[in-house]
Amino acid sequence: MDIIEAKNIWKNYKIPHEKRNTLFEILYGLLDTKMGYETFTALKDINFTVKKGEWLGVIGHNGSGKSTLLKVIANTIRPTKGKITVNGKITSFLELGVGFQPDLTAKENIKIYGAIMGLSDTEIDDRIDGILEFGGLTRFKDTKIKNFSSGMIVRLAFSTAVQIEPEILLLDEVLAVGDLDFQKKCFEVFDRYREMDKTVVYVSHDLGTVQRFCDKVLLLNHGEQIGIGSPEEMISLYKSIA
Amino acid sequence: MIKNLWKYRHLVKRLAVSDFKVRYKNSVLGFFWSLLEPLLMLLVLYIVFADIFPSTQENYHLFLLLGIALWDFFAKGTSMGLQGILSKPGMVRQVYIPREILIFSSSLTALMMAVLELGVFGIFMAISGLMPTSTIIYLPLIFMTIFIIVFGSSLALGALNTYYRDVQYIWAVILQAGFFASGVFIDFSTYQGDLKRLLLLNPMARILLISRDCVLYNKVVSSWDLTFCLASSLVILLIGYFIFSKLEPGFAEEV
Ligand SMILES: Nc1ncnc2c1ncn2[C@@H]1O[C@H](COP(=O)(O)OP(=O)(O)OP(=O)(O)O)[C@@H](O)[C@H]1O
Ligand SMILES: [Mg+2]
Repeated sequence: MDIIEAKNIWKNYKIPHEKRNTLFEILYGLLDTKMGYETFTALKDINFTVKKGEWLGVIGHNGSGKSTLLKVIANTIRPTKGKITVNGKITSFLELGVGFQPDLTAKENIKIYGAIMGLSDTEIDDRIDGILEFGGLTRFKDTKIKNFSSGMIVRLAFSTAVQIEPEILLLDEVLAVGDLDFQKKCFEVFDRYREMDKTVVYVSHDLGTVQRFCDKVLLLNHGEQIGIGSPEEMISLYKSIA
Repeated sequence: MIKNLWKYRHLVKRLAVSDFKVRYKNSVLGFFWSLLEPLLMLLVLYIVFADIFPSTQENYHLFLLLGIALWDFFAKGTSMGLQGILSKPGMVRQVYIPREILIFSSSLTALMMAVLELGVFGIFMAISGLMPTSTIIYLPLIFMTIFIIVFGSSLALGALNTYYRDVQYIWAVILQAGFFASGVFIDFSTYQGDLKRLLLLNPMARILLISRDCVLYNKVVSSWDLTFCLASSLVILLIGYFIFSKLEPGFAEEV
């Protein structure tokens, strides 16, 4: 069964000539003749499917549209054209976070995240200790997130996301800021998820891990889908267009 | 929308409670500080207006305090709802949840705060030796009406403010005007004719009027007044939801 199906996905971003963020500027802009915006096409006609238990890797240069694609799958942004179908509950790890609020403590944030994932209060309470322990952050359970280091936030976000047993996992650059210990933990989780037949979309510049974990790879270049195929094939194609 | 709110009820509850705690800084003291504001307002309005409208009201202080409490529900509720999307950028950009949940939970937080203020009003009423009569049964219905108005307005305001950041300043001005136009310290029931009809087109003015009637003056609320208030709250909800759903797809790109 197809867990994710993307059909002719296009995404345009609006880039205003001058960023207008207030009504006042909009009204003022009406008098101004050079008002307008450019559109930037971040995704051009993307097509793929992901089956149950499959890992899809997404690779490409900076700005090629990888994160944009993940956000479209997660439904936080909407495609300009095309249709995305997802069968299952998504856990997303986008922009190095899972929606934590800086003013709340680690524990409170975990509770809220559990509620987002539809867990009841007791189900969440049962998991809190495990999550904190996995992230190595038990000592900081009552510390506000805004006082965490950026690596600690990523650790907490990642442990929270993976300990709440997702059906579909979207990962954008998880390894980017973690230390060696964290990377080791990530790999343990990845191995376990492979055994458990979890469906994963994995965006990374670390081609070694892409090669190691992904079943197939989507190569993007300037928003275009250069190809989709085996990791070896796509990685060498990527290197050839570098 | 109702389906989503039910499906995510655990989240709604968590968010409302955690916002409530943050507002009161997790302390009993913070809670007392927050009640100081309406009481100060009461004091100022009482000193200024008790002499200007002398014999119109017995228990003018209760008249004022009830008005302040209900107006605060609306004013604080919409001001919080206005920031409902912008104040939680992570929950918009990094995960997907139906975004009306953020607005709904902020309206719930406002409801909890309003119930507290109402408690203070209750204490004042008891001290003043005034016992509520059976007509107080309308009060829950009135609260529900204000809640719908707050939620509906917040849907529109929260969405608009995400795109146009000066909506919050415009709204602050509208609230200032609304404070005068809703009869927080003036008894509109003493007005006559077209002026009264005009003033009572404002649902908040009518709500304040009927809540004083049923809580303080043992008067039965007319079904016309109730229908008017409930119907206008539903219209506000519909318009709010319409604006919200038009703007919601772009939230993550704007916060
Ligand atoms: N909100 C936005 N408004 C306008 N343009 C945007 C927006 N978000 C992304 N873009 C543009 O879309 C393009 C693709 O961005 P995206 O973040 O998807 O790239 P990426 O492949 O994830 O890059 P990286 O490897 O650096 O993470 C970039 O050129 C970027 O400037
Ligand atoms: Mg990226």
